[in-house]
Amino acid sequence: MLRNYIKIAFRNLWKDKTFTLLNLLGLSTAFAVAVLLGMYAFFELSYDGFHKNKASLYQVYSTEQAPEGIEASEPKSVPFAPALRDEVPGVAKITRYNNKGVLVISGNKELRMSAAYIDPDFFSMFSFPVIKGKEQQPTVDKSTVSITEYAANRIFGTEDALGKTISVITEGVEQLFTVSAIIEDFPDQSSMKFDLALDFSNQAPFSYAEIKDDWSKENHEVYVQLEQGVTAAQFEKGTEPFTQLHYKDEMAAAKRDGAQPDTNGNFKQIRLLPFKDVSYANFDSGIARVEKTMPYLILGVGFLILFIACVNFINMSIAKSSQRLREIGMRKTLGAGTGQLFFQFWGESVLIFLGAALLGGLLAFLLAEPFKTLFSTRASFEAIFTFKIITGFVLGFMLITFIAGGYPALLLSKLGTLQSLKGKLNLTRKNSVRDVLMVVQFGIAILLISGTFVLWQQIDFMRNKNLGFNKEQVISLPLNGKRSDAQVIQLLRNKLQNRSEILNVTAANNILGLGRDGSSMTSQMGFEHQGRVVETHILMVDYDYPETLDMELVAGRSFKRGYASDSLAVLINEKMAAQLHEENPLETRFILDDSLAYQVVGVLKDYNFQKLNTAVAPLTVFLKPNWNMHYAYIKVAPNKAANALALLENTWKEIEPNANFLGSFLDENIDRTFKSEKKMATMITSGSILAIILSCIGLFAISLLIVAQRQKEIGVRKVIGASVLNITVMLSKDFLKLVGISFVIAAPLGWWLAYNWLQNYANHINLTLGVFIAAGLAALIIALVTISLRTIKAAMQNPVKSLRTE
Amino acid sequence: MLLQLNHIYKWVKQGGKRVFLLNDISLQVKEGEFISIMGPSGSGKSTLLNVIGMLDEFQEGEYDFLDESVHTLKEKHRSKLYKEYIGFVFQAYHLIDELTVYENIETPLLYKNIKSAERKALVADMLDRFNIVGKKDLFPAQLSGGQQQLVGIARALIAKPKLILADEPTGNLNSKQGEEIMRLFKELNQEGVTIIQATHSESNAEYGNRIINLLDGSKVKA
Repeated sequence: MLRNYIKIAFRNLWKDKTFTLLNLLGLSTAFAVAVLLGMYAFFELSYDGFHKNKASLYQVYSTEQAPEGIEASEPKSVPFAPALRDEVPGVAKITRYNNKGVLVISGNKELRMSAAYIDPDFFSMFSFPVIKGKEQQPTVDKSTVSITEYAANRIFGTEDALGKTISVITEGVEQLFTVSAIIEDFPDQSSMKFDLALDFSNQAPFSYAEIKDDWSKENHEVYVQLEQGVTAAQFEKGTEPFTQLHYKDEMAAAKRDGAQPDTNGNFKQIRLLPFKDVSYANFDSGIARVEKTMPYLILGVGFLILFIACVNFINMSIAKSSQRLREIGMRKTLGAGTGQLFFQFWGESVLIFLGAALLGGLLAFLLAEPFKTLFSTRASFEAIFTFKIITGFVLGFMLITFIAGGYPALLLSKLGTLQSLKGKLNLTRKNSVRDVLMVVQFGIAILLISGTFVLWQQIDFMRNKNLGFNKEQVISLPLNGKRSDAQVIQLLRNKLQNRSEILNVTAANNILGLGRDGSSMTSQMGFEHQGRVVETHILMVDYDYPETLDMELVAGRSFKRGYASDSLAVLINEKMAAQLHEENPLETRFILDDSLAYQVVGVLKDYNFQKLNTAVAPLTVFLKPNWNMHYAYIKVAPNKAANALALLENTWKEIEPNANFLGSFLDENIDRTFKSEKKMATMITSGSILAIILSCIGLFAISLLIVAQRQKEIGVRKVIGASVLNITVMLSKDFLKLVGISFVIAAPLGWWLAYNWLQNYANHINLTLGVFIAAGLAALIIALVTISLRTIKAAMQNPVKSLRTE
Repeated sequence: MLLQLNHIYKWVKQGGKRVFLLNDISLQVKEGEFISIMGPSGSGKSTLLNVIGMLDEFQEGEYDFLDESVHTLKEKHRSKLYKEYIGFVFQAYHLIDELTVYENIETPLLYKNIKSAERKALVADMLDRFNIVGKKDLFPAQLSGGQQQLVGIARALIAKPKLILADEPTGNLNSKQGEEIMRLFKELNQEGVTIIQATHSESNAEYGNRIINLLDGSKVKA
């Protein structure tokens, strides 16, 4: 019996080669894409899942009730962690963590590396295993350093690094350390990454020794491991006396300025964020929100594509069934039961699905590398292949096979014997299941197409937006060498002074956009001004900063050389000016906590100094030529960009022969800040193209069958006078109606989704109806072309052929 | 003269040999004639009707319809010609299952872009004439064979053709229904419509005023 079934199944599949091929093609592509997207999504969702203690690891942050609302702050002060450990019950282990760029010197090698300054508990909390060294866990003390295998290779090459000495320069201070342990390189899903691990107290005095008891200087993160049985909520509740004790003044100030207390009547609350959620956390609204939209969206696209392919399969199987009515009737007369018939038809589906799954798997495997390059991801099958996920994939496959293969089989096996023998049953005509499925299918396609349009429009908008400074003509250059920053800037100025390519040289302690060094930071401070706390971003700059970047002044003047008092002068932006509530901001003086009075000399027009999804925040610009500048800004003459960059690189090599040249134009830096948007756009675009192709395969197959079924009708109509156009319109009308319905459903949904997504961006495009109409039209035209492939041919056929068969 | 066939040949290749479906057929039909084509199955009756109806091609010979040489006409022109002047009636009725009686009769008018009001009037006349007003909202499956054929003829007549081609119009009907249909044809003929029918039945053939006998694609002298 079974052999008979398999034989019949193969013959049937062979007989309907077009359908078998279309099904295999659609399903295997969908499987391949679903597997790849699944791989990507699961990889993105698996960040920091490898730590053995992940269930009890948390990052400590706090929320403050400010007059403007609730604000989160992650950085903590140096005395915070020890005090928390001693005063609040439930802490098993705690570590401070400060990640900094340092310069490592060994022999004549000079390398920029990232160093983690940590406390001794660190390596027993997080799972970063040692591969070489005496201890099971690296020890953290004043004189030793633990380095990763990768860093060891960079510094020492193939030599054994253990026991060697390296010199580390951080914030101008040089110290010697002995390598005591080599740690395994981080898994790709680790949100914490560094080259060296040093004791927390080894930071420069500026960042540690001098502020050891200062609760107001907050510059690092704190992680805790709770004791067993202690929940995050219990712990948070237990911190109240601690907060009362150490933040009394701050809370009193908030109350005075008119902030509303939280539900527990507090103005500051210490909170815990599970460590495995850290890489998905968003602190914009105060209390951390875990956002995994992007990976789930990608996973969703994968599912939608799989869904479309399954719909194709179901529709084709049902439509095809009319050809097998006689077989069903015959088998029933010969004594086949419903169950037997079901298994026969289902078996055929399983055969196709198995074939498609194998092909799809192979395809996914072959495409994995190009996929990784295209989407610049480190996701790989190895990284996510856990038992759970494999089981999930297998179960998912079985479920799909059961539903998509079982439904048509069920329909067929339930037919009445006589009806099917006569072949009269019109199972395939008014098929509402088919219509609903096709509406959903095209709805998905329209949704994805309009999503694509909106994404690209937004990216284009951000790329072309006037940011308030000159991004085309200015190069940012990270100062990552051995010399002091002021010295480098002076050298740059001297060497470039007389070159026609270079118009201006200046410096600042922060980057615009995201530079090639990949680092970013924000500096904020708050101070009391006329009895209120004022919060502002701060930026330290050299002379000529606004001029180099072509920033506009709305009032006052820029910093000037020769004005001795300018060392205590500041520029503020319009947002800051508004916040000061002064009639004339130019007459404002404010006193910072070091009791120096600063004079506002100019007001800058607001410019986007942060990522474009945030609105412009208050900013105060200080003139600090001898500060730790981090970045030089060089304005080049128009039309000489390429020469200027080359000239700059050569000059840099003369000044800092051992440091990498990482100069880049600001527009590149800006582009880099929406890398994730671009990645998302690429994925959604590919997804929507695929969705359209698959939908069209399904539509094409259905149109083939419909035409076959209506052959007689087409013949009759032609004989009584219908033209080719009449027939084509008649055959296409029903499908176009379905596309129309999908549009009506998908467009508002797409609007809603796009609208919500755009709310993440302070600077965003205005949604227009045009996008959705364009998407709908695109779907309509594509559908029309697909159907026409077959219908026009059918309409042109000689009616005698179809009528003779009667 | 309504139409004229001169030495029409039609063949298909089978295993490299020509099998003739129509072998040197010449025929003249005047307006107002009622012609019966007789012959056994496979003798070429349907093929001849299809050729006359311009639904089928032929390889050799000439065909003039109302002074137009059909064999030189382009497809588009030809379909315009038959749309205008020819109505078809089939053995299997070939009604459209999804349309009601009313809609089936109306369809040819739709394809001739006739205005809604005029369509209504024409269809109403036709329903009236064949006494099927009460059945206008039924679907073909709800009618008997004879009634279906009535609808088929109504549909063929609605566009006021000069020529009706009927391929075994009574083949699927019982003798009583068949007789009614044939009487109807006779009436129509007396009103001036030219009719060419293909039939097996001697008695049906008698309704015509000329009989053509076919065998293996050739005319047989009676």
